[in-house]
This record gives sequence, structure tokens and C-alpha cells, in this order.
Amino acid sequence: MKKVVFASGAVLMLTLGSAQTPVLAQEKTLTISVYALAQDEYKQIVYDPFEKICGCKLVVETGNSVERLAKMEANKANPVVDLAAVSMADALAASRAGLIDKIDTAKLQSFDKLYDIAKDPNGDGMSVGYTFYATSIAYRSDKMKIESWADLLKPEYASHIAWPNVTTNQGPPALYMLGQALGKDTPDLKGAIEAVGESKDDIVTFYEKSSQLVQLMKQEEIWAAPIGRFTWAPFAKLGLPVAWAMPKEGQTGGMNVMILTKGSKNRDLALQFMDFWLSTEVQTKLAEKMIDSPANRQVKVSDEVAGNLTYGEETAKSLKLIPSAVALDNRAGWVKSWNETVGQ
Amino acid sequence: MFQNRAEALALALPAAIFAAAVFLVPVIILLSDGFRDPVGGWTISAYTDFFSNSLNQTVFLRTLRLGAIVTVVSAVIGYAAAFAIVSLEPATKGKITGLVVLPLMISPVARTYAWIVILGRTGIVNQAFQALGITDAPLRILFSETAIFIGLLQLFLPLMIISLISALENMPKDAIPAARVLGANWFQVFWKVVLPLTKEGLVIGGTLVFTGSLTAYITPAILGGSKVLMLETLMYQQVSVSGNFVAASVIAFILIVMSFAANILLKRVATARNKVRSQG
Amino acid sequence: MNSNTLARSLFIPIILFLVIAFLIGPFLIIVAASFSAGDTLAFPPQGFSLRWIAKVFTVESFRASFGMSLFLAIGGTAAALVLGIPASYALSRYKLPGAEVIRTVVSAPIIVPGIIVGLALLRYIVVPFQVGITLALFLAHTALVLPYAVRVVSASLDNLRSDIEEAAVLLGSSRTGAFFRVVMPNIRGGILSAFILGFVTSFNQVPVSLFLSGPGVRTLPVDMIAYMEIVFDPSVAALSALLAFLSIGIVFAAERFLGFSRYV
Repeated sequence: MKKVVFASGAVLMLTLGSAQTPVLAQEKTLTISVYALAQDEYKQIVYDPFEKICGCKLVVETGNSVERLAKMEANKANPVVDLAAVSMADALAASRAGLIDKIDTAKLQSFDKLYDIAKDPNGDGMSVGYTFYATSIAYRSDKMKIESWADLLKPEYASHIAWPNVTTNQGPPALYMLGQALGKDTPDLKGAIEAVGESKDDIVTFYEKSSQLVQLMKQEEIWAAPIGRFTWAPFAKLGLPVAWAMPKEGQTGGMNVMILTKGSKNRDLALQFMDFWLSTEVQTKLAEKMIDSPANRQVKVSDEVAGNLTYGEETAKSLKLIPSAVALDNRAGWVKSWNETVGQ
Repeated sequence: MFQNRAEALALALPAAIFAAAVFLVPVIILLSDGFRDPVGGWTISAYTDFFSNSLNQTVFLRTLRLGAIVTVVSAVIGYAAAFAIVSLEPATKGKITGLVVLPLMISPVARTYAWIVILGRTGIVNQAFQALGITDAPLRILFSETAIFIGLLQLFLPLMIISLISALENMPKDAIPAARVLGANWFQVFWKVVLPLTKEGLVIGGTLVFTGSLTAYITPAILGGSKVLMLETLMYQQVSVSGNFVAASVIAFILIVMSFAANILLKRVATARNKVRSQG
Repeated sequence: MNSNTLARSLFIPIILFLVIAFLIGPFLIIVAASFSAGDTLAFPPQGFSLRWIAKVFTVESFRASFGMSLFLAIGGTAAALVLGIPASYALSRYKLPGAEVIRTVVSAPIIVPGIIVGLALLRYIVVPFQVGITLALFLAHTALVLPYAVRVVSASLDNLRSDIEEAAVLLGSSRTGAFFRVVMPNIRGGILSAFILGFVTSFNQVPVSLFLSGPGVRTLPVDMIAYMEIVFDPSVAALSALLAFLSIGIVFAAERFLGFSRYV
């Protein structure tokens, strides 16, 4: 019996092992790593048309920015991914870790059409922005009035708000704006974290997943929360009087960028893909489906679509973004002081 | 007991070698990161640093406390439920066992979200409490240790119940009536007869529940609303936000030690009872 | 005895009702939400519609990841049982040198946090040995299920008197023959429990699979979490409910199958 057991195990492993080898070795394959957002639409608008143009196979890995970066780091010696879409700060982290190469923007026909802030967000030539978003406060206009980021912490409001956890993409920007509202805007965000800490027993939750907020808003668990504009659409559809705040300190936000892996064997294909994604045609389609706000300034959309996006040069310029280097150098410190003040 | 050693090893070694190669060795290499100093020597400074931090102490104690409470409560409920189920007609028993196992088939993520609906301000629990006059205003149950406790209990109670059912079923049918005839009250019956005879089930169930509670990530993350940090959520932060693999491996090692300790403790409790029985 | 019988006849239904309500309540909410017409999870649901159930089938990535998860759950559990049953038998019936060490090694995967397992496998198996993600996932899931297989099967073996098979051997049956004819039929329940436990553990496993997902390869729960990070509509509830019904079907079939085998 023992032999049978061994043999069947070995056979199973062999079949599994052989399933790993690429089916068509001669076919060109481009591997990209992106956010899990709206993959069905991406497939239709970006991936399938690109496969037709390049005559190659596109393999897509999805997940959140940090996890995918951790994997790129682990696979450093033998990179799997050719091109990745990550946050601005993670792009800088990747560059510092020596995981990525400079982008040869001369090969990108769409490059000149981009908003200036998207051309080289980190100033190191290693990334190109493909979309950006505003972060502000979604709130119940019948229950409260939000004119400043600091209004959220008013005693009568604090027990009805959710605040993004410092570990989310919205956490640090929201704290950054709160710091400005309180007149305590240091890079370590200490003033803002302390202010949140004082209200921590009142605040309903420190959310991790923004998708949870729609549920909480519907259940009247919360009246307000700082969110990214890309999650706005479901709030607008709730059938409740939910408004997008325009605080006097302004809106913050973030940008997502594309990077090229060092040691990738498909550089030209990756550049071709990047160019395609940044093209006016593709960026317009993504905007019309309300998936990504365009980084390409030639994109024109209807007012209705624009209302659901972060659209236009003026908006793009007005966003108060945390510089990547500040985010990266302080991230561990933010988490530490957040945990000590809020997590305890 | 069969004596043939070669045969025994041939049967047992494939599993052991597999677990060691695929699992133990990589994990040990990773865990050893927590004991290295920057120059490549060995040190436990990462651990002394960890425990000297007051946040870490709070989180450690909270994790231990919640794990212990969930385990004890699930053992109490588990015995009651397993007794009830074992005493049923075979046909009903199958159906009820099926219902107990059912929650295990549902994604923990979806189950956790269901609790948001149930425990919310306008949820069933608060509605019932208000209707019964237990409270005037909606209680805040969500995003607290209580919510995590409820979520974890629902997640792991089935493991305890099935472990105990299979243990109770294998108990000699006449053990309880015999003890009753000899004049033992129900408490004595449980403590001196049932517990020793079902210790294997309790140890398995208890270890599964305790370890599960320690290492659950989604439930504390969602139902605790990050206001209530646990070791596992802290570790996830270290990996995915700070990229601090050393800190993560320190927490991992602590969690592993806690699980081992619980397993040994449960075995002790069970065997201590056993000795009393064999002496008496 | 009368008061006892009364107490028991009250105690049993009450306990069972409370426990089952607690365990099944969330499931009912999920099922209700799957048929809801509203955009969020709510109880009682807002209206009735099949649109969320329909939506599940239109999400393309769910199909691929479902296949992957099913393969891992069935394949991984089967492999774990193939490794685990002989090991349990050796542990329970033989004087085995180093039995405790073997037992600890085999059950170790259960107590190590999943994130660490995923990370360790990625760094020290996948990367250095150039192992494919699918194979890595298969190995990881087999290792994860192994403790359940060994513990549950061992428990049922320990509770089975060993003199029956010894008698069978004395009466001229081979050791293997005695195992299949005498032992197997008696530990069928244990094997079934081990299979169910293993299947659901593997199928719902999140943290290990988090790091072990590669381009185009990932498990359903990881896919669901990724989906929910973007939208939380009742389609995830609908998917969970569908999966639950599928699992129930599998358990039911397994019991039927094993029940039948008694007479074969």
C-alpha cells in the first residue's frame, strides 16, 4: 500500500508541476500587476484590445499596492511582473529598494498629453501617473454641516463618524488635512493623531475597507467619513442626503502610477502597454465608465461623468498631496504613534 | 500495539517529511529573522523591545484574554450542545450536526459582515433589547471587544462541537448510567466520567478554537474597527504597512508559543483528571 | 427518573435552538441579502430580486478562482488524507520511535499564523526553487489540512479497540487486509469529519493564500476580499450563499457515498 501511496503522490505532483510550464513558450507574454478595481471593465477597455494590437498574451495579477510590492520584493532576483500600477509612495519605496528602472518617456506618444503633475510625480523619472483622486468628506447634509476637516471631531458629530485607519490609503491624507485645520501640520502628524485619539471612544470605527462605509451609512451607524472620490458613486446612490464636502482647508488625495520592474525581459512591450493605457482613447473610456479619473488632459467627458470623478487641471492642481518622500519616511512613525494614541 | 518499527516509520514518515519540508523549515527560517542582530549574530533584543512597549503589552494581554474566554465559553456551550445532539435519534442527529457544520462552509468574511447587520444600531439585537425594555437608546455593540468575542465564538464554536460530538459518541454507552447508579450527581458525572473520557475531543476542540481565535485576522479587523487591536492585526500592520518583517516574525513566534502553551495546558488538564479517575 | 426525563426533554430542544440560532443567524441574513433588491446588506431585506445572484455569474474572475479553490480543497484534502491516515495509524497502533516529534511536526501547520506561512513559502520555497504558484498553493493547502486529518483520524483510531484487528491478524488476515476490512469501516466517520474539516479549512483559507497568489492564479476567498475592497454589494453575500449551498451538497454527497460504501 505504501508504494501505491507514494506513487500516486508523485504522479499528482508531476502533473501539477508540468501544468506550470508555459503552454506556448514562443508566444510573447506581458505580466502586469494592478489594483483589483473593476477588472471586468479593464479587460474590456484595456486588456483585450491591447492583446489584439500586440499579438501577445497579457497576464494580470491583482491585489492591493503594498501586498503586491512585498511580492515584487520577494521575487527581486527573478522578476515575474513587468509593469505594476501602485500608489505614488509605493513607487518611491520600490525605487529606493532598487526594484524598478527609469521610464524611457521618449517612447511614450501619450506622455506630452498628461497633466504636469502626472508626468513625474516623484521627481525621479521612475513613475508616470495614470489616475489621481481627491479625498474629502462624504457626509449626511441633513444631520450636520462640514466646513472644515476639524468639524468632524466636534463633540456633537464625533460619535457619528468613521475615520480611516492610518494603515489605509486615505488615513494619512485625512490626518494631514486635519493637522492643517488644527494649525498643527508637522510631517509626523502628531497633532492630528492626538486630536483623533482624544475622540477615539466617540468615533464609531477606524475603517480599513472603504466599501464597508456604504453599509454603515445605510444603517445610520455613521453620518460622515473621509473617503476617496473613487468610492463616491455608491454613496450617491444610497437614496440618502449625502454630500461631498468642500472644506476650507481644501481637499487632499492621491495618485496612482505605473512603474517598470528592473530586470524585466519585456521592456518594449511594457512601454507599449503603458502608452496604450495613457492614450486619450483608453483614458476617455475608463473615465466614461467612472473607473479612473483621467491623467490625460485631452480627455473630454460630460458634466455628469465629471461630477463623479476628480476631473480637470484646476482640480488636479488644487489637491494637497502628501509628498511621497514624507509619506515613506514617516509611515512607520505614523503607525507607531497612531497605535499608541488610538489603538490602545 | 504492533512492534514492527520499520513498518511504523514507513507509515508515519511521509507525512512528517512532507510537513517538515513544505512547512516547518521555511517557517523556521523566517522566524529566525526575529532572533538575528544586524551583524548576523543571535539576540533576543527584538523580544525584550516588544514586551517593554506598553501598547504591545495591552494587545498581548487582550489577545490572550479573548482567546481564553472564547475557548472556555465554547467548551461550556460545546458540551451542552454535543450532549443534546448525541442524545438525538440518528436521523435528526445527522440533520442537526449538518446545521452546526453549516457556518463553517460560509466565507468568514461574509459571516463577519452579517454581524454588522445584526449588531448594528438598527440591528436585530438592539431592536429586541429596546422592545424588551432592556435599554432605551441603541447600545453600541459593534466595534468593541464584545463584537469580536461574538464573531470569534460563532466562527469557532462549530469546531468545538464536532470535536466533542465525536468524543462523546466514542464514549462507552453505559458509562453515564453506571456512574448515576453508583450515586454520582450530574456534576460528578461530568467531572469524573465524561471529561476524562472525552479529553481527546476537548484538547482537539480547545486547541482549534484557541489557535483560531489567536490567528483570526478578518473578524478583529472588521468587528473591532481597528479600535481594538489584536496580535494578528498588529502583525498584519507590520507586514503590510511598515514592511517590518522582523517585528512580524516576533509576533508570529509569540502567537505560536501561545498556541503550544494552550495545547500543553489543555492536555495537562485532561490527563490530570484522568489520573484521579484511575486512582479512584 | 421522571423529573430527569422532563428536564432532558426541555433541555435538549432549548439548547439546540439557541445554539443553532446563534450559528445559523448570520447565514440567514446572508441568504436573505442575496435575494434582496436593495444595494446594501439589510435585514429584513428590501424587496426581492435575483439580480445579485445573476451578477455573481457575470464576474469573470470569480469563475477561475472558484475552480482553483475547488481543486485545492479537494486535491489538498485528499493528499492530506493519503499522507495522514497511515501516519495516524502508525501513531495509534505502533510503538513508534519519536512518536511525539512526528505528531508535533505533522500538526505544526495549525498553530502558525497564516500570513507567516504564506510569506515563508513565498520567500523560501517559491522563489529559490522556482516553484509555480499553483503547486505552491497545493503544497501549502495539503500541509494546512494535514493536522486536521491526523488529529481527527487519530482520535477515532484511539477510540477504536485495537484487539479486533489483532484478532483479524491472528485469524490469518494480512495487516493491510485487516486495516481495510476491520479498521476503515469503523473510522469512516472520523475520515469524513477530517475531510469536511479539511475541505472547509482549505476552501475558506485566506491569509496563506494572500501571498501565494500569482498572475492569473488566486483562490476564491482572496478574490472575494479583493472584490469587496472595491464594492460591498449583496453580490458577495449571494456568492457566499451559493458556495454554502454547494458545500452542503458536497457534504451530503460524501455522506451518501460513504453510507453506501457500507454495503458495497
